[in-house]
This record gives sequence, C-alpha cells and structure tokens, in this order.
Amino acid sequence: MTREGEVHGIPADPSAAISVRGLTKTFGNFTAVDGIDLDVPRGQVFGFLGPNGSGKTTTIRILTGTSAPRRGQALVLGEDVVAHPERVRPRIGYMSQKFALFEDLTVDENLRFYAGVYALDPAVFAARRRYILEMADLQGRERELTRNLSVGWRQRLALGTATIHEPALFFLDAPTSGVDPVARRQFWDLLYELAGRGVTLFVTTHYMEEASHCHRLAFIYRGRIVAEGSPSEIRANLSTQRVYDVTVRDADLALSWLETADGIAEAYLSGAALHAVIDRGVDRGAGALRDRLVAAGFADAVVVSVEPTIEDVFVNLVSRERGA
Amino acid sequence: MSGAGVRIGAVVRKEFIHVGRDPRLLAVVLIMPIIQLLLFAYAISFDVRHLPTVVVDLDHTPDSAAYLRAYEASGLFDVVGHGADPTAVDTAFDRNEAQVAVIVPAGFAASLARGEQAQVGVLVDGSEPNSARVAQTYSMALNQLYGRALAVEWASTQGVDLGQIGLVEPRLRTWYNPDRASSIFLVPGLMVVIIMIVTAQQTAVTLVREREQGTAEQLMVSPLRRIELMVGKLTPWVIMAFLDIVVIAVLGVVLFGVPMRGDPVALAVGATLFVASCLGIGLIVSAVAPSLDTANMAAFLVAFLPAFLLSGFAFALDQIPPVLEWISRLFPARYMVTISRSVLLKGAGFPEVWPQVAALAAYALISLLIAVRLHGRRA
Repeated sequence: MTREGEVHGIPADPSAAISVRGLTKTFGNFTAVDGIDLDVPRGQVFGFLGPNGSGKTTTIRILTGTSAPRRGQALVLGEDVVAHPERVRPRIGYMSQKFALFEDLTVDENLRFYAGVYALDPAVFAARRRYILEMADLQGRERELTRNLSVGWRQRLALGTATIHEPALFFLDAPTSGVDPVARRQFWDLLYELAGRGVTLFVTTHYMEEASHCHRLAFIYRGRIVAEGSPSEIRANLSTQRVYDVTVRDADLALSWLETADGIAEAYLSGAALHAVIDRGVDRGAGALRDRLVAAGFADAVVVSVEPTIEDVFVNLVSRERGA
Repeated sequence: MSGAGVRIGAVVRKEFIHVGRDPRLLAVVLIMPIIQLLLFAYAISFDVRHLPTVVVDLDHTPDSAAYLRAYEASGLFDVVGHGADPTAVDTAFDRNEAQVAVIVPAGFAASLARGEQAQVGVLVDGSEPNSARVAQTYSMALNQLYGRALAVEWASTQGVDLGQIGLVEPRLRTWYNPDRASSIFLVPGLMVVIIMIVTAQQTAVTLVREREQGTAEQLMVSPLRRIELMVGKLTPWVIMAFLDIVVIAVLGVVLFGVPMRGDPVALAVGATLFVASCLGIGLIVSAVAPSLDTANMAAFLVAFLPAFLLSGFAFALDQIPPVLEWISRLFPARYMVTISRSVLLKGAGFPEVWPQVAALAAYALISLLIAVRLHGRRA
C-alpha cells in the first residue's frame, strides 16, 4: 500500500532540512507546482533554479507555511509545515529581493523591531546586534535612517534582520536580483559564512553563475523538477554533447542560421556570444563548424569549444521539456 | 510578558515611530482636528445674525409700525433703511446695503382688524443662499409669533374659543439650539468625522503600505500571527482616535460652551462601537485594495465623504435627496452623529439612543467579521 506522499516509495526524511513528497499546488486550472519531490540535507547550500513563473516562489511559500498545498507532504526541519507552521517559523528565516526593512526607521530600530517579532531575550539581542552590525559593516551608523543607506548596506542589513533569530534553515528568494556583481559576490561570501556555521540555505536565483556556488541544485520548469544533483552531476547531463562558443558580428543572423542548420541540436544567445550544441555522434570539431559558418557568409566567425555551463544544461533541459 | 505581548508591543512601538517620522501623518492626527474645529466654529460660521434689512411701510398705521418694530427688536435683523416705495428695495439690494426687505402693504391693519390673515412681503437676496435660507426661516417664524400674538389678542377681545376658529395653526418648530450657534451644533459631529478619518483611513492605508513594502511578506514567515499584526498596527490609531475625542470634547466645552448634558457612558459606548466599525471598514478596504493609491482613494470614498456629507454633520439628513438618505444608512457615521448630538446637546442616555447604539454594534460585528474573512482568504 502506498500512501500519498510516498511517490518514490521512499518516505519523507525527517532528519533532512527539507523533505518534500508529491507536493502539488494549483490556482484554478493552473498547476503551479506539479507533484515535486525534494530532499535538502542539513548544512547544505541548495540552489533552486528555474525561469520566472516556473514555481520557485510558490514552493517557498508552501515550505515557509504561508500557503497550503493542494496535495503532498512537506517536512521542514522534521516538522509538518502544512499542519504546524507555527512550530517551524521560529526556526526558519526568509529573505526576498524586496529587503523587508522599514525605510523610515533607523538601523537600530529595524533590528529592535525584528528582535521583538522573534521575542528575543535582551542579552541574546545585544549579542546578535553586535554581530550583525559588524557583519553588515554598519558600526557607528546605528542611528541612520535605513532609507539613506546604499543598496549593498541595505541588503546586508536585511540579511542581518532576517537571521536575527539564528534560524537553522534560511530561505532566500532571488536575494541578489538588482544588485551589482561586486555586491553580489560580497553577499555570497556572507552566505558562505552562514553555511559555515551550519545553517542550511535554500536559494532561488536566475543568475546561472550563482548556481555554481551551491552544493546541490534542483531545476524546476513548469512546476516540475527536471534535473537535480550537484553542479558537476548536472553538467554531466550534457556528456553526450559538445558546446561551442561562437563569436560573430551579426549574431542575430548567425543565430537564425544555426537554429536551422543540419546537425546543430541547440543554438542560443549566451552573454554577447552564441552557444551551439552538437551531438558527439555528428560532431566534427570547431574548425568544421567555423568552415560551415564562413561558407554561409559569416566570414568573421570565431568558434571555440567550451565546457558546458549550468546555463547550457538548463537551456537544453528546457528545450527537451518543450519537445516532450 | 508572553510571546504574543512582546510581538504586539514591537509592532505598536514601530507604528508610533512611523507616525512620529511622518509630519503629514502627525498633522492629520494632531493638528487637523483642532484646525477643523476652529475653522468650523469661527471662520465658516453657519450663524446668521444682524441681517441688514430695509423696511417699506405702505400702510402707515400703528399696527404696521408695531409689526416692523418686532423685526428690529429680534436682534436678527438690523433695519438699515426705511423706503418710501418698493423700488427702494432694488436699490438697496444692488448696492449690497441690505439682504432682506420687508414690505407692509396698504390695508395691513384693516385686514387684521377684520380677523383675516394679513399679507406681508418679505424679500430675500438669494445671491447668498445660506443667509437667504436662514433669513426666510427667521421671518417666517417671526411672522408666526407675531401673527399668533395678534390672533390671540383678537380672539380674546372677541371672546371666542381659540381651538375652534382654526386661525392659529399649531405648527411646531424645533427650537433646539435657539441661538443657532453653529459651533455647539458642529462640535459633536466634527468628533465623528475626525474619528472616521483617523481610524478608517489610516487603518486602510497602514496595512496596504506594509504589503507594498514587502514587509508583510517577511512578517508572515515570522512567528508574528496575523491577528497580532493587526492588533499591533491598529492599537496606536485607536489610542489616537480616543485622544482626539478627548481633545475635541475639551475644546468644545472650554472654548464653545458645548454642554455635556447627557450620559457620558452612552457616549463612550457609542464611540467605542463606532471606532470598531471604522476599523472594520478600514480593514475591508485594506484587504481588497491592490495598491496604496487605491486604498487611499477608497478610504476617502467610504470613510471621509460619508462621514462628512452623509452623516448629518454638514447637511441635515431630512434635507438630502431620498437616495442619499438611504445610502447614508450604510455608513456608521450618521448613527454616531445622532448619539453624539443627543448626548451632548439634548441630555440623552441609553433610553433615547439605544437604536443607534444597537445599529453600531451590529455594524461593528458584521464589518469586522467580513474583514477577518477577507484577510484570511488573501493568504
């Protein structure tokens, strides 16, 4: 007999930070999350990736107990978050790209407010306040209005207030969107520091280069998990194919030529260049591809064989899903 | 202190900091009530007294002279000129020398002597409608009093029973506030308008703002319960609303001599139910409004306008069109205005105002239930 929530035959794991079985959420006729299974071991940085509207935020809402699933089981820190969200909430933290700070309050007033929300002991609060001010580089600016801080500082303060109660599990929903690359790197350094203290991080992002920061990744597309594993396992998805980086002046025209050319499995923009994916069976090397491009009228084409990135894998997965 | 107490306390403190940091909000809460009170009581006075009046006596009898003297003696009309014929009226109106003209036609005394109703022409300059309306009312009342005196005099000399001849119509006028001192009449209503703005409007806006900033999303993930957030966010506004009530009441009594004739407990119970109704309305708006601008506009429409226009505060409810009168029943302000005026001016207590208190109790219960349902659904 298989109970609901044991789709894989393996029951949900209460020792994991997150263990999800058959989780489904519908809005009317639209299925936002379609029977997903997920296991996030404790102490890991778990990347939850996918394009906009694929179900990332809906999943986080269910896991933080603010939205009820239609079906399925969700254990968070060993507790059934659907039945007892109040048991889970004091032990989890949450941060989104909207820094949940009150801009007309000072740094200190924001910290005090969240300390009150988590009913922190005064002695604990004093220690946490010292730690956060140092971490966010805000010592001496406690009485400044939050509105007057620049984005990087606001982000670090938001990280501080969101973790003021030292959660064991920390959800981050696209926390770095709209932040410049330097601040993004600094922010990830802080996340690693948290992870180093044993906090489990559940991070959604659509910056693919951030995916390589994670121990494990899951890729969600149209409400279903289409790939899961470590970054290197994910890359192995493309082991039967080769990825070429094509630099050409008229990239738009070259892209439409590649999309229809024989033997090219996939072609897409990747940064300023194009990526072409070719099955190993029909692959004849970078030189051969360049010759074909030159023959087609792209005389300035430069073709280099590259290691597939996480992004390459996901583009490929999405096109497989679309074809399916 | 319990966890819930600590959490609600944190929200209340934060909310007071918001108000303290926002000069506009502070003005709305603390200064606007006082300004409105002074504005309505002094500047926009509905009092009409000493109307400049020109009289034209075409009868030239002791009776006509006595009649016209009654105008002068009333203190409501200042006789600024005596015209020889009706054309003098036009001249006086054109030059803005007079707003009222009284013309006693020839034969006035003769009609009275025959026991008939005498005709008197009262002309009112309609270009200032409020004064015009009041002047009209005054002169009608005056005529009636004078006419009754005459009739009674006539009747008693003839030895006829008054009740049988029907000359004197027993028409009743409500002579509340006989001096028509508008401040006394306005203070109880103003109280209601201010409560409505401070509670309904601010409640609607404050929760939507939290949602727009993304802080509501953050708080939903925290141990702070939805009900704790609401209580914490609404408490400061309730405190400020009651503070405003006290300030207005004290100013009303000290500056304008508003009498506190009735049962203060009835007033307090009414005010509490009214505040609860306003919170309900504010919460409903905050639950359905998609943005801060919409919330502001909606709160203005359902809180400010009905409180101001459809409560009996500015316009008497029996003088507005029936459709609007019916609509006014859908908002709590009119019930509270009645309670407030009855208690403060007429010396009422629960026996007189219980229907309004009951209406507010039902209103508070229903609006709060709807609000809780709507907020629950949003999750």
